[in-house]
Amino acid sequence: MSASDSVIPVLLLILVAVGVLSLVLALRHRLAFRVGMRNVRRSRSRTVLLILGLLVATTIISGSLIVGDTINELGLHYTLLGAGFNDEIVSNVTPIGSLAPFPYAVYSQVLSSASGDHAIAGIAPEIVSTVEVFDRSSGVPQPNLNFIGVNGNQSQQLGSFVTDGGQSLAGPAPGEVLLDDLAASELNASAGDSLQLYGANSTPVTAVVQAVVQDNVRGAFPTGGIGNFGSVFTDLATSQKVENLPGQINVLSVTNAGSQQGGVGLSDSVSANLNATLAKIPAASGLKVQETLKNGLATAQTSGSGISTLFLVLGLFSIVAGAMLIIGIFVLLAEERKGEMGMLRAIGLRRRELVYSYYFEGLAYSAGSALAGSVVGVGVGYGLTYAFSILFPAPGLSSRAILDSFTVLPQTLLIAYVIGFLLTLVTVVVASRRASRLNIVRAIRDIPEPPPAIRVYTYLAYLGLTLTALGTLLFLSTYRGSTDISEPLIGGAMMILGAALVASRFVTNRIAFSAAGAGFVVWAGFEPLHTALLGSYHTGGIFIVFVEGIIMVGGALFLFAFNSSSLVGGLLRLANGRSGRAPVARVALSYPGRRPTRTTITLAIFALVVFTLVAIATFGGTIQANLDHTVAEQSGGFTFFGFSNEPIPDLPGQIAGNASLASQFSVVVPLYFGGANLNVSGFSANPFGDAVFAGPTGLNASSSFYTTNRFPFSTTLGGISAGLAMHELETNGSVAIVDQSYAVATTNLGGGGGTSAPHPSVAVGDSIRVANPVTGNSTTVRVIGILLESTVTGVWLNPATAFGLGFHEEKAFFLTTAAGVSGTHAAQLAKAAFFRSGLVLYNFQAILAQSIAGTEGAIGLLQIFVGLGLAVGIAAMGIVAVRAVVERRREIGMIRANGFTRRMVLRAFFLEYTFVSLLGIGIGTALGLLIVYNLSTSPSAAAAGVSTFSIPWLNLLLILLVAYGLAMAAVAEPSLRAARLPPAEAVRPTE
Amino acid sequence: MAEVVVAGKDVWKVFGSGDTEVAALRGVNIEIAREEMLAIMGPSGCGKTTFLNCFSGLDEATRGQILLEGRELHSMDDNAKSQYRARRTGFVFQSYNLLPVLSAVENVEMPLLIAGVKGREARERATKILGELGLAERVRHRPSELSGGEQQRVSLARALVGHPAIVWADEPTGNLDEEGSREVTRLLRELNRQYGQTIVVVTHDAAVASTCDRTLRMRDGKFES
Repeated sequence: MSASDSVIPVLLLILVAVGVLSLVLALRHRLAFRVGMRNVRRSRSRTVLLILGLLVATTIISGSLIVGDTINELGLHYTLLGAGFNDEIVSNVTPIGSLAPFPYAVYSQVLSSASGDHAIAGIAPEIVSTVEVFDRSSGVPQPNLNFIGVNGNQSQQLGSFVTDGGQSLAGPAPGEVLLDDLAASELNASAGDSLQLYGANSTPVTAVVQAVVQDNVRGAFPTGGIGNFGSVFTDLATSQKVENLPGQINVLSVTNAGSQQGGVGLSDSVSANLNATLAKIPAASGLKVQETLKNGLATAQTSGSGISTLFLVLGLFSIVAGAMLIIGIFVLLAEERKGEMGMLRAIGLRRRELVYSYYFEGLAYSAGSALAGSVVGVGVGYGLTYAFSILFPAPGLSSRAILDSFTVLPQTLLIAYVIGFLLTLVTVVVASRRASRLNIVRAIRDIPEPPPAIRVYTYLAYLGLTLTALGTLLFLSTYRGSTDISEPLIGGAMMILGAALVASRFVTNRIAFSAAGAGFVVWAGFEPLHTALLGSYHTGGIFIVFVEGIIMVGGALFLFAFNSSSLVGGLLRLANGRSGRAPVARVALSYPGRRPTRTTITLAIFALVVFTLVAIATFGGTIQANLDHTVAEQSGGFTFFGFSNEPIPDLPGQIAGNASLASQFSVVVPLYFGGANLNVSGFSANPFGDAVFAGPTGLNASSSFYTTNRFPFSTTLGGISAGLAMHELETNGSVAIVDQSYAVATTNLGGGGGTSAPHPSVAVGDSIRVANPVTGNSTTVRVIGILLESTVTGVWLNPATAFGLGFHEEKAFFLTTAAGVSGTHAAQLAKAAFFRSGLVLYNFQAILAQSIAGTEGAIGLLQIFVGLGLAVGIAAMGIVAVRAVVERRREIGMIRANGFTRRMVLRAFFLEYTFVSLLGIGIGTALGLLIVYNLSTSPSAAAAGVSTFSIPWLNLLLILLVAYGLAMAAVAEPSLRAARLPPAEAVRPTE
Repeated sequence: MAEVVVAGKDVWKVFGSGDTEVAALRGVNIEIAREEMLAIMGPSGCGKTTFLNCFSGLDEATRGQILLEGRELHSMDDNAKSQYRARRTGFVFQSYNLLPVLSAVENVEMPLLIAGVKGREARERATKILGELGLAERVRHRPSELSGGEQQRVSLARALVGHPAIVWADEPTGNLDEEGSREVTRLLRELNRQYGQTIVVVTHDAAVASTCDRTLRMRDGKFES
């Protein structure tokens, strides 16, 4: 049962409870019910407008959840495609990641024991490895192809191979080869080509391509991704010959009974039975059962849930903006109906009845808007999926497959509906209580409410004291306990707000809340304060952006709300200097300046949405700007990193002696490379496997790792320089250096490090025990530095130490191309020259550019999603403008009588909404830039290798123009209507 | 006779068309002299407000000729009418029509600003006239903080601050009690004498009409002879 399934009964229960309560209230307060329903019915256009305004929150929730469902479905699709009918794999994975061979007889014994197990549909013996292939027909070599040896008659339960022509094949014919589409493409091969397969056997095996087959759901064979060049299939006997493993296999592929997905439910019992069987077979020592499909599906579920959470957290800004819009709508409704409400109260309607009438009206709007929002969310979800399919076309991930994965689950719609409904209803109820608190006479005569009495401030002071106490408690209990600073930040904000409430009892609201506003902005936006109070290693993930954003935007709004008159006064003084513009400016700016509640709500909506958009865009720009820096940091100044299947002794010498290669590379660095078992004190999963590297000694300056690399460190023991650290590593046998994935998680900006790495975190000065599983030799080394790079992961040892442990095969390399040389051409020449050794080269720039392109795509998608929040701003602006024309009818008539032309009225309206929207956009932009600046200049960011803050001006300009343009589009029609009002009609006392 | 400031010949105003056609003004002929204070009375619906709207330029007459200070109103486009209103006319309405977001002085200086007077001068003149109307202590108050009588005095100040040639007042005492009504009427009369403006008052109130130089009665869209 998933989390969403378990929450449904609770939500349904709440929905039923609200329904029953509403029914009881409707029966007991029939008059209020009738008044509420009459209000809903009396203007269809207004009801539609209200529902449009209210549906935004539900739309965002619904859209986010649907994107999550779609990602889950996509993950499921690819997991099923990748695993095929292979539910479990039985193998012995060595510390360096290869598969240890075992006797074919183990297969026979396991098959015999499992014959009575109805949960197992079949078991296939296989050889799985990598080979180098040379296509003699096309003349193209390709190292590092996946190599699978399996007999068709033994793997029937995995399904058939399907040729590109659609023909089904049980398996490769003896002595022949099947190539998948990717491998065929890399080799430029087709059926009938003659191939040479280079495996562990010193003599290559020649075979003919029987057919090119589709990547399909047959078995757990890799289908794409970086470093994967496709798969080659032969029968078992041929594969044993290629790998020189007569009578041996290295994988048992197990298929469960039932359908592809249905069989997953049997995985636990199948693996338990298989483990019991393996335990009884001496030759099966070391073999383990991996529940491939089950684990893959669980991972897919987690990634879908993570993406859904990311969208929801970023959508929170729009949801808060939506809630502000609901409050704004009800503030306007209350103002519009003030006289009417006063009359109802005057003729005997009790205040409670008034609240209930609003409740019933709000209930109808909430139910309607949540329903509409859930449905609109489906469209939004599809739109996002479509954008995703365009932004993320990748090998093995087609646009069509992404679109086909679009999923709308009924339970998702139900969750979105109930949450959206309750969120809207709660906001409506709060706004209704506020609206119904009116003085009858003042309401009828349209006299403004007087300032609150002193006792109100006394109550607020008590509330402030409580808030301060709670905030202090929260801050003190969390600020030293965790690296997550969201809780202490909230605690601090509560303290500031509490202090302002207390202060408002003794000083003017303006002083108290302006100080609080400034305090909010500084508290959430001044990074050195966080470092001073909370330490360097603080983070908070994506949620911290929401917390800091809300606090800072709230602070800016406090500053505006309590200083709007001064701000407007200042602007008017500027306008007064320009004859002719003064009256337009006076009219335009006085309304927002002197109706701060309404203006602040609109500002809040714009500021929140623009804040998120600007923060995401700037985040993307900063990542892009750090590309060069990242490449330098991750590559250590080299162009390529390479591996070979077989050791290549003296690669620098071989390249120097090769006429075609010598001019291609300026630096060639060989490395000792091997897989080690490592132990770190206190780590629960000791020993764990990782790679070890060391640079051989006695090489010239252009081939020594220690002198040629320019890898920067995130930290070194005693703060020594990178050069000294490398010198120490070269000369001191008891020290080591590790990559960034060993660092303690420190970053807000992603990058390397931390808890998700499959090994422990270490600090400089810590010790690591290193053992070679092949030789059994071991030693303990002390970490003297942590590199910033995390592309080549592992532990870097002193050459003598590595040699002593038995790591002396030169199977890893760094290469730098000569000036003016094409990297692609140089790599092709090197791969061809050392094809037999299986040399594979990875271009740092290309890998990082691909990774960054993915990040940019994600940022684009998030911008589209968050941009939906602009709908809230447009709705708010449009509703306020429509209302303004009605409200100010006589005032418009009066200024027209006094000499305002139509154009001046139009200019006044546009200027008013320009002021509000630009102020909101300005607040959002400034704070969005500030938060990313803080993130990119914090110690955590520096540790993650981010050193440059960059503003993507073009992207920002586009965002600001779109936001402003949409706001003006929303107010255009009401403004034109205002300008066209005939003055004689407008000045009349009746509307 | 003194100089004619407002003249109308056979002025008609027809609302609607076909079966719903209603003639609010039916061939009105009138002449109003400079510095004259004229009252227009008549039952509800007789066309008083329509007369005021059409002759002040707020609305367009269907046919006929209206001359304001010798300029034919019909020949002015909307901008020209606006400009004329800004410089040569003032308005007082029954419901004051003050801008609620502006203070008393800001409301009063608005016509001056529209007419192109500099901010400082506009503020001085607005403050001065408010003082003359007994509102010196209330200049920074917003309309919602003023009584009905005070609001109408602000409205009067706004109408008169630019020394317009003509002031149009539509039921200026309609929302006021007896005392407030007397006060506003007195002020209108005083200001008319002090500044020599032509004031046209549409009213139901005989007491207001009695203070005027001349009273015209309207019935069914025409002045009674």
